[in-house]
Amino acid sequence: MKAMLERFKSLRLVRIMGFNRVVLIGVIILLCLIFQVLSGVLNHGNVFLTYARFTSAINYGYFIGFLALGVTFVIATGGIDFSVGPVMFAAALISGYCFNNYHFPMWVSLIMCPLIGMVFGTVGGFFVSYLHLPSFITSLALMQIAKGVGSIFTKTQNVSWPGSTDPGGWYRKLSNLEVTLGNGSKLNIPTGLIILIIVAVICSIVLNKTRAGRYMICLGANREAVRLSGVDTRRWEMLAYVICGTLAGLAAIFYVGCYTTVQPVKGDTFNNEAIAACVMGGTSMAGGLASILGTVIGSFIIAIMQEGILSMGFNIAFQYSLTALILLGAVIADVMSRRRRN
Amino acid sequence: MGEVILTMKGIDKSFPGVHALDHVDFDVRRGEVHALMGENGAGKSTLMKVLTGIYTKDSGTITFEGKEVEFHNPREAQQAGIVIVHQELNMMGHLTVAQNIFIGREPKHGLFINDRAMNTEARKLFAQLNIEIDPKETMSSLTVAKQQMCEIAKAISHDAKVIVFDEPTAALTDAEIDQLFVIIRDLRARGYGIVYISHRMDEIKRITDRVSVMRDGQYIGTLVTEECTKEDIIDMMVGRVIYEEPKTESRCAPDAPVVLKVEHLNAGRMVQDVSFELRRGEILGFAGLVGAGRTETARALFGADPKQSGDIWINGEKVSISSPKEAVEAGLSYLSEDRKRFGIVLKKNITENSTLATLKKYTKGVFIDKSAEEAVTQKYVDALKTKTPGIDQLVMNLSGGNQQKVVIAKWLVNDSQIMIFDEPTRGIDVGAKQEIYELMNQLAASGKSIIMISSELAEILRMSDRIIVMCEGRKTGEFGIAEATQEKIMAAATRDIDMQNRKNRQEGAAV
Repeated sequence: MKAMLERFKSLRLVRIMGFNRVVLIGVIILLCLIFQVLSGVLNHGNVFLTYARFTSAINYGYFIGFLALGVTFVIATGGIDFSVGPVMFAAALISGYCFNNYHFPMWVSLIMCPLIGMVFGTVGGFFVSYLHLPSFITSLALMQIAKGVGSIFTKTQNVSWPGSTDPGGWYRKLSNLEVTLGNGSKLNIPTGLIILIIVAVICSIVLNKTRAGRYMICLGANREAVRLSGVDTRRWEMLAYVICGTLAGLAAIFYVGCYTTVQPVKGDTFNNEAIAACVMGGTSMAGGLASILGTVIGSFIIAIMQEGILSMGFNIAFQYSLTALILLGAVIADVMSRRRRN
Repeated sequence: MGEVILTMKGIDKSFPGVHALDHVDFDVRRGEVHALMGENGAGKSTLMKVLTGIYTKDSGTITFEGKEVEFHNPREAQQAGIVIVHQELNMMGHLTVAQNIFIGREPKHGLFINDRAMNTEARKLFAQLNIEIDPKETMSSLTVAKQQMCEIAKAISHDAKVIVFDEPTAALTDAEIDQLFVIIRDLRARGYGIVYISHRMDEIKRITDRVSVMRDGQYIGTLVTEECTKEDIIDMMVGRVIYEEPKTESRCAPDAPVVLKVEHLNAGRMVQDVSFELRRGEILGFAGLVGAGRTETARALFGADPKQSGDIWINGEKVSISSPKEAVEAGLSYLSEDRKRFGIVLKKNITENSTLATLKKYTKGVFIDKSAEEAVTQKYVDALKTKTPGIDQLVMNLSGGNQQKVVIAKWLVNDSQIMIFDEPTRGIDVGAKQEIYELMNQLAASGKSIIMISSELAEILRMSDRIIVMCEGRKTGEFGIAEATQEKIMAAATRDIDMQNRKNRQEGAAV
């Protein structure tokens, strides 16, 4: 058994991807099978494993990936960010409101999303890195500020982004592009998913191949040693929060691309999901260890869970508790593996 | 010396890939101090961890007071009467001395803790040991030496019969060591069995009755301290003889250019009006007792801590250094006494650590130039003879000496001209120590200027070209190596500043 495990670990693909990531893919398959059985039992022969379910899981869940990617940077520096969900909503509310009420061009509204996120990220990052406030408290405060600012701006009204046939509705093509083939049949191209993958690749390059990424990870592992090596740690730590906020703002585009309507004073449920995706993927809560690929896979696990719970006929509220449990489980695994290493 | 109280026989312990203990024998008698010696990694700590139940042994027997025992955790060992006084003290800094000693078994008064009884008990303990510590003092306000004495008091209060001291003098000054030895001798006279782990040869001769030596997880032998020489023990430890001869004359030319000049440096209570010069190719020793302000001076100079005032010239040019970043840019480097906290990133590999200070140089556009980075790392792994399977090895898997080499490499990659070594050989075994010394000599010979902070007089006298002595945040002496002696340095390091002032005033009055 042990020998088999060692041999499996030494496979080329496993080495490249990292053992943990392969295990996660195993988890995805296991989850699908569990949902397959459970949804059949609970919903009278309902089938989970269909192509429609799969695309729906991805279409309704991948925006979590953008949030999780951003959070990965912050957690890598040894911090935590509980503000990404509301920041995403604030971006969607403010820019959507500008489009609806002030008749901003759609492309301006779209560009506003990541910029609004960036502003929040910069403010939070400044407090954490230059004023040395704990990221936990700072991000909790920022979460409430984001909720407040978004709601005040929209006078506590829902904001509905245009439907795909309305003027300005072209932005939905960023999430999902429907093309008509020569023979008249229609094909859905998951453009949002493709953009997520591209952003993930860029994040991975930033984290692993650039000076910024190296410093962020190293300062997460031992801030004082990095500072005493003559590195301005504050600057690089702040950058992580700026990236995180920007990606949260970007996520807004894909959230409205799928759900259209944004409610004020909401969004905090996505924080847990983003952090869970991140930690499940092997990014250590202690900082100094991050995996972009892991985060992406983790996000898909969250998406499939969400879909699975719906397919079993459960209320979406189950999702919140389950995500929290998964987050706990991931953190326990993280702590245990750290203890084993020591 | 009384009868044997504790016997460990044929203790065997393996970890994946390491045979940590290979059928080790060890025994302790009542009323003796039994030294356990060996280089780092020889298995001393592992043996003690097996004894106190932190590790389970693979085979072998432990007999304590005539009965075979097996402890599953330190608490069981403690209850039976075996206590370790750890090198790193396990104290709760914000609690009082008495609260620390009686933690978990406080005298109660109904539901409430009876503070008065607790303090009285603690006072009685200290009286037994002839120590003067106020039980109501908060732990963190005590010196390391006093904290250690509290640990000893705690051990006694647990009715210990065997007390293990794990490198008790590592952080103590010479005067404090004397005090500790008085206590240990007293414990010996009262029939306690004492295990004494230390690297310091002179202490072994002073305090112990027998010496057992371990090497590479094996028991090498036991000697009676009185009948053996220092060289005998070292031979058993390393299988080779190491001579520590003091330097007799400066290797730095008297007219070598001054590369660093510090004037009237002030930073808090621990750095008061410190001025000195450092010449090219010189090793400038900073001697003094622990807490004399040497590390604080180095940190203030390096911009790691804020300073109130002071001027710094580098190569004759006045510079302003308010952060480590500016210090590094000015050509300074600082190798901290606490490598793991301030020197290296344990979770990262040798390459990432080696280029941490110089990553900008190894960046092309926005990307890190991996091959250049690896080439320079490999170059210094070879040059410094760092023992590692490869440059992608995580630094946490290296031994103390090799970790130190990685830190040195980091600053050599940066081509720093002024290197501050703070306790460069702390926690490093005898063989690697030698290498670090040679390396520092080579660096000085190649034109680098070195400030070496050390609490070991032998090290100061062996390495320095010139010596500055500090006491309570002030510079209290400066000697060329030719005129320096242990006595002179110790006199300056323990100088009572008030007395000195009074003397000056009297002299002034006489004139």
